Amino acid sequence: MTALRVWLGDPNPASRRQARLGQLWLAWRRIRRNRLAMAGLVIVAVLLVVAAFAPWIAPHDPLVQDLSRRLLPPGTPGNLLGTDDFGRDILSRIIFGARITLYIIALVAVTAPVLGLLIGTVAGYFGGWVDATLMRLTDIFLAFPRLILALALVAVLGPGIENAVLAIALTAWPPYARVARAETLTVRSSDYIAAIRLQGASAARIIAGHVVPMCLPSVIIRVTLDMAGVILIAAGLGFLGLGVLPPTPEWGLMISSGRKFLFEQWWVATMPGLAIFIVSLGFNLLGDGLRDVLDPRSASR
Amino acid sequence: MSLLEVRNLRVTFDTETGPVQAVRGVSFSLGRERLGIVGESGSGKTMTGRAVLRLIRPPGRIEAEAMTFDGQDILNMPEREMRALRGKRIGMVMQDPKYSLNPVMTVGRQLTEGLRLRDRLGRADAVAKAIAALEAVQIRDPHRVMDAYPHELSGGMGQRVMIAMMLIPEPDLLIADEPTSALDVTVQAEVLSILDGLVRDRGMGLIFISHDLRLVARFCDRVLVMHKGLVVEEIAAANLLAAKHPYTQGLLNCLPRIGGPRGPLPVLDRTGV
Amino acid sequence: MSFIEIDNLTVTFRAQGREVRAVEGVSLSVDERESYGLVGESGSGKSTILRAICGMAPVSGGSIRIAGKVLPAQRGRAFSADVQMVFQDPYASLHPRHTIDRTLSEPLAIHGMPDRDARVVQALVDVGLPPAFRFRYPHQLSGGQRQRVAIARALMLKPRILLLDEPTSALDASVQAEVLNLLSRLREEQGLTFLMVSHDLAVIDHMCDRIMVLQHGRTVEEISRDDLAKANMNTPYARSLFEASADRMLGSTTEPAR
Repeated sequence: MTALRVWLGDPNPASRRQARLGQLWLAWRRIRRNRLAMAGLVIVAVLLVVAAFAPWIAPHDPLVQDLSRRLLPPGTPGNLLGTDDFGRDILSRIIFGARITLYIIALVAVTAPVLGLLIGTVAGYFGGWVDATLMRLTDIFLAFPRLILALALVAVLGPGIENAVLAIALTAWPPYARVARAETLTVRSSDYIAAIRLQGASAARIIAGHVVPMCLPSVIIRVTLDMAGVILIAAGLGFLGLGVLPPTPEWGLMISSGRKFLFEQWWVATMPGLAIFIVSLGFNLLGDGLRDVLDPRSASR
Repeated sequence: MSLLEVRNLRVTFDTETGPVQAVRGVSFSLGRERLGIVGESGSGKTMTGRAVLRLIRPPGRIEAEAMTFDGQDILNMPEREMRALRGKRIGMVMQDPKYSLNPVMTVGRQLTEGLRLRDRLGRADAVAKAIAALEAVQIRDPHRVMDAYPHELSGGMGQRVMIAMMLIPEPDLLIADEPTSALDVTVQAEVLSILDGLVRDRGMGLIFISHDLRLVARFCDRVLVMHKGLVVEEIAAANLLAAKHPYTQGLLNCLPRIGGPRGPLPVLDRTGV
Repeated sequence: MSFIEIDNLTVTFRAQGREVRAVEGVSLSVDERESYGLVGESGSGKSTILRAICGMAPVSGGSIRIAGKVLPAQRGRAFSADVQMVFQDPYASLHPRHTIDRTLSEPLAIHGMPDRDARVVQALVDVGLPPAFRFRYPHQLSGGQRQRVAIARALMLKPRILLLDEPTSALDASVQAEVLNLLSRLREEQGLTFLMVSHDLAVIDHMCDRIMVLQHGRTVEEISRDDLAKANMNTPYARSLFEASADRMLGSTTEPAR
């Protein structure tokens, strides 16, 4: 362990891999000192574990109905968080719902930021009419309220988890494009970009190899901070019946179905609501912590 | 009696890898004279200047055996009294006026603000005093400068405004940290002669912090040469060329001179010092 | 015919409807293996001339020829193999998220050159850095070490012309001496032509054979090194620069004893 630590902290790395791992190690040490960020990281890690091992963790099958045991309150033996109106175990449904939530987050996280980064860096690097065109396009998307646009897209494409993700991704990229463009504008006029241009590098090479790495930290931070919003929009679509279709255990859908009993059987809607709250909080805390670690302005010291 | 007395000053920063000493025991005393502090980056010269004003932020710490200004103990003085001392009796001019002036306020407002709040002067009196200060730093059209925003001023003009601002409360001590390094050489000479005149006319004490040994030698009465947080040599400026310490000699010799020899410049032997 | 020939160069920036002439009708010629200095205060257009050569400033008049050929509008790869630049601020000219290795091997990758590992190590040795620094990041280096890396990068493609934009003004005096010595040595070894910009007359005098003094984008005076040493200048501005140089300041009170 100490040998590994010395290897990672070596000021003179012997290979590219060691240099990169050393940087990661440094970032990890910095984030470890930030308690709130660690709390966020733990929440996200728990979400990952729960989603991965859902069939083994969940006490019941999330889909099996037992009408004799419907609407039991939390704390009932065998149903820790109670049951819903079909007698399904709420805890098990939340645990399986974590998979859906994670699936949506993962799909959005690999599509929207990539699209936004591409559009933002290209617009910022070239400037002129390319910039004007791409940014007006971005403005058009930004002008719509996100949920409304997602609703319209789902209404056209039909409900379902992939369509919901597509709708969310298509509404989520403009802020990333904005962030990436702003970052690109400052990077573009720097001496190191002038130097690489002077070396004869092509625009594609400069954008991919030199501009994107500088934009990446702010985009990653933005992504983690946005994840809470993505969960909420997915839940909102589910709530409105336009996302995941019943009987799939999705948190938003569960809230929606619990709405009918909100006053008498509060736990049916509250438990998935709490799950959304905790996971959103986790991503937000992690995002704040990452900002301190990844932001090149704070890391330059 | 000396104006400022500093004995065994230490500035320590607590970092991840343990405490780092930026200043490791510096002692000096200052009368109503011009004292130069010279050193390269990392020598602790800036930290020394800031420590005198207690402007070191955590994780930095200031320790000293004694630090007195005009008989007052400024090492243990409450922050409230220290704030009153700063600006009023001790002024500081930084390297780049761009970062020291508020970009969204006109120069006039920044100059008169202190006068009106602290000295409770009326508007007309404050403006008159501010214009007099701008004239003292040889600004020819003070009325135009009063209405200008900092970005509308050139570097030399901005630095003069900074000096004027520091001089309005008529401090007894001015700490100037690289006040001319961001300026062109011809402007540099003007700003220096303004400072020089002010020290002579008002009997101020001046601490002039710079990396430029030759500049300091010409401008100051006495020079402290700092290296790695220590004063390696204290010498009267007139005798600088007869400096004993190898580091001081190295600093003097490594600069190219007009008409000097063409061969490689002598470089500092970093193993020795 | 000279190696670098700049004839009546004018550079005009357009900002908010206003036209600003940063360089106006400057002509100069530099022979192969010569070292030519441009000196002036801020706003004199000295750096803009270097950027105009690199195609990074809007040239509105005049011509730039290198080895007799007019430069194409898009400078292209052939140009970058011939002309390279070292920037003023070593803290801004190295990519903060690339290792030294990546910074130095990038030009080789762009130009499809073989033996990258060996060349990178050789380049580090050439500029006096230990090969162990190869996988460090810029923030793990001092200012002087960074500037050595920037010089190594500029020399990766074996250019014939090196444009030096205030290469030592961000460095400490003792580090400046080391970097100037390094540049002189490399010029000797690799037969380079220097076009160097500085605000410091003493630095330019130490490095260059001929010197042009600029003010407000125009040529004030072209002067040889010998004339400068003898204070043989024709214009009052060049003289005031000479007088204001920090070196003169000290010399006026006491004569350098060496």
